[in-house]
Amino acid sequence: MTIPNFTRHLALAGRHAIALAAASVTLQAQAAPAAGQAGAAEPLALPAPAAGTLVAITNANIMTASHGNIMGGTILIRNGKIAEIGANVTVPAGAQVIDGRGKWVTPGIIDAHSHSANEGINEGSQSVTAEVRMEDVLRQDGISLYRQLAGGTTTVNILHGSANTIGGQNAIIKLRFGLPVDSLKFAGAPPGIKFALGENVRRTSNAQSTRYPRSRQGVEDLLRESFIGAQEYQREWDAYATTKAAWDKASARTRGPAPIAPRKDLEKDALVEVMQGKRLVYWHSYRADEILMALRISKEFGFKPNFTHILEGYKLADELAAAGATASTFADMWGYKLEAWDAIPHNAALMAERGVNVTINSDSDERARRLYQEAAKAMRFGGASEETALRMITLNAAIQMGIEKQTGSIDVGKDADIAIFNGHPFAPASRVDMTLIDGRVFFDRNTAPTLEWLMQLMRIRPRITSEDGGLR
Amino acid sequence: MRRTPLHRVVVPVVALVLSHAVAGAQSNSRDNMTGVWALTNARIETVTKGTIDRGTIVIRNGVIEAVGATITPPADAAVVDLSGKTIYPAFIDLTSSMGLPQPAAGRAGGRGAAPAPFLLPGQEPEVTTEERVVGLEPDRIIAEELRIAPADARSARDQGIGAVLVAPSRGLFRGLSALVPMRDDTAARWIVKTPVALHVGYQTVPGDYPSNLLGVIAYQRQAFYDAQRHAALMERYKANPRGMPRTAHNAELEALVPVVKGDVPAFVAANAENEILRALALGKEFGIKLTIVGAVEGFRAISALKAARPPIVTVDFPQPSQTTGWQYQYATRRDPSDSATRIAAATKAIEGNAAALNTAGVKFALASGGLAANQFMENVRKAITAGLPRQVAVEALTIRAAEAAGVDAQLGSIEAGKIANLLVMQGEALTPGSRLEGMYVDGLQYDVVPAPAAGRGGRGGRAGNPPQMREE
Repeated sequence: MTIPNFTRHLALAGRHAIALAAASVTLQAQAAPAAGQAGAAEPLALPAPAAGTLVAITNANIMTASHGNIMGGTILIRNGKIAEIGANVTVPAGAQVIDGRGKWVTPGIIDAHSHSANEGINEGSQSVTAEVRMEDVLRQDGISLYRQLAGGTTTVNILHGSANTIGGQNAIIKLRFGLPVDSLKFAGAPPGIKFALGENVRRTSNAQSTRYPRSRQGVEDLLRESFIGAQEYQREWDAYATTKAAWDKASARTRGPAPIAPRKDLEKDALVEVMQGKRLVYWHSYRADEILMALRISKEFGFKPNFTHILEGYKLADELAAAGATASTFADMWGYKLEAWDAIPHNAALMAERGVNVTINSDSDERARRLYQEAAKAMRFGGASEETALRMITLNAAIQMGIEKQTGSIDVGKDADIAIFNGHPFAPASRVDMTLIDGRVFFDRNTAPTLEWLMQLMRIRPRITSEDGGLR
Repeated sequence: MRRTPLHRVVVPVVALVLSHAVAGAQSNSRDNMTGVWALTNARIETVTKGTIDRGTIVIRNGVIEAVGATITPPADAAVVDLSGKTIYPAFIDLTSSMGLPQPAAGRAGGRGAAPAPFLLPGQEPEVTTEERVVGLEPDRIIAEELRIAPADARSARDQGIGAVLVAPSRGLFRGLSALVPMRDDTAARWIVKTPVALHVGYQTVPGDYPSNLLGVIAYQRQAFYDAQRHAALMERYKANPRGMPRTAHNAELEALVPVVKGDVPAFVAANAENEILRALALGKEFGIKLTIVGAVEGFRAISALKAARPPIVTVDFPQPSQTTGWQYQYATRRDPSDSATRIAAATKAIEGNAAALNTAGVKFALASGGLAANQFMENVRKAITAGLPRQVAVEALTIRAAEAAGVDAQLGSIEAGKIANLLVMQGEALTPGSRLEGMYVDGLQYDVVPAPAAGRGGRGGRAGNPPQMREE
């Protein structure tokens, strides 16, 4: 079968129209060098882009996420930062120009809950593992990262799993796919830690488990016990600091041997940082009662709570807003376990309406490729405005993760993390044509592997069986 | 005239193998360490002091007494005329588990109950009847438990290997290794050096903490912090025990103390690019002497390895699908023929690992990675075919290996005063047409069974070898 026929049949295929759009555009782009083709020198190399020092995206519809939309505007990027935005920006000579005519430009999408760039997810042998760090197990070469780039995602929050009451330390990364693993880290992002509540930590699904806690009361007890232990640990270090200072000042002739520092405990260090406000807590949560418990614990030990999942957040929107809590939820995931039964797709919009900083996350390699569609659901179900919905996957996520000064919106001085769509990002057939991180093009659909490659590889031929010739 | 088996007439291979089989497990050493040998008229590749085209080596008491072009054999020496042969230092394999008991699945160990590791001073050890956790035994002294069968030593010698470094191949703290000569008479009695290094890896402890790579790394970091403090406490107590609380005895921590003080190196099994970087980060954090063992993806981490201690590079080549970056390569194949192209390119890179490191100026030892001795040598030849200069390969199997194990004063080259571990070749070592004709280990003369032709499998071959064709 020839390719023109193939695309024509796809065009008739109704719900497959999106696939057609992808196929027909990419077929025209076959002449462009393929990113997937391996160079002879480094056959296992990933496609790292060149650093762009001066880039201009011209004539595009820019959705800034912070100060409205600019139709037919230009973004000028210098050394990876957004230098100018507006309708009348002069493009300097020598700039790499990306023609944005007919395109929609959004801030790079931020996924506030991800497990897609790590070799380990749960250290599930204990319920308190504050000492483990996602940054120790990052991997840069998973194909999922590339697929997420193809969905405009640029920054993700790699969290420990939810097996433990107190899980591990998070890692915020940018999807600099193709660069070595230590290039992924988001410089200057505040450290965080995962806490979890409910069914996962009390091991409901594992009847054999003998691990404490086995109930929600036990979870609360273990949390309090852990923080009290960390407070004692901190007092031990404070006492040492006093002794050491006195020893330093004492006469070298009369003083005894130098005091030896208390044992460094990596687990308690992390909890002390939480209480000092240096480490953000991301609470995995479902039910309203346990969310209230988490708010009490957060208040008792003096830290600001950030919630993830929080499917019953709409029941507590005022309490969350009053506590300054942030909430990162699913668009419409529902009923996949008992504690997810009361979820409603209006959750995100309802919480946002009451003043909570709301984000929509993926917690999934698959959804992470299309968070813009997830955000659109907040408009469809909750009646959120376009800008509110966009912020749920950009600026609000940056605020939750404490990186809003660097990314999350298209503003002068921020990192040039940008997604370029071929249509309005919330239109169902739109897709991402190009994704930039720090002004570097990490995804370009013109050079990306195409649907046609895949069809060839899988030896797939469209089957035409229906009366109208559509693809089944 | 003494028996000089190196001078035997060439007999059909079948007969040789038969005679060897009949000899069975009995020792085939012809003398003991008190023997005096003069190996004359041989080409001598000293490795460190160039080549002597026609020279003599005198061996006495297991040690090279003299080497040179103008040495007169002492009156009491048995003279072996090695005209037309070349003598090399015997090879050293730093990645062996020869003579260790096979670890049982899960928890086992057989060394009785042990206190929970890493107790705080003053903390009570938990009363436990559990056996030691396999792989979590920094204080495991391999020299104390070696049981090397003559047949194992012989199969190493048959490939020119005169000494091996023995350590368990799994676990996160595996124990303290021993360098053992490949003698028949209870090799363990003649250990060259112990401990050589603390062996470290990234395996988990099944059913216990740490159960995940996350926990493994956290555990290792915590253990090294604990060891640093333990060292400080012990030193203070040693300086003046009066009035000081005694430091609790803890064998595991005490085994780590020389490592954190830099007296004993840590050999960390790290193969993939990210493993190498993780391991080096651990070494840097604690200022320990750290040697990477494996580095089969060293070609992806060249700059990091260049800045590190010379690695021990193994030739247990991974499959392309096991290498970093393969997911992308696999996902972006264009058509079925592209798969073969990419597999071939990846294989070339994998086999070219040592060559790439050498080109980049990285010094390294070569080791088997646990392959059977014949497969080891075959893969070394593949590395040579892929661009590793033969001379560099010889150095990597001799003097570089000796340096990595800290025994370069005793082994790794042909110099007066070093241990007489030698191999006698017809032809040049590691070339296809060459033939190993005999070995000296600790000055003991050993026959060897000629290696079977490449590709025909053979004694000690890996399960993956093609079966030998039998002609009826």
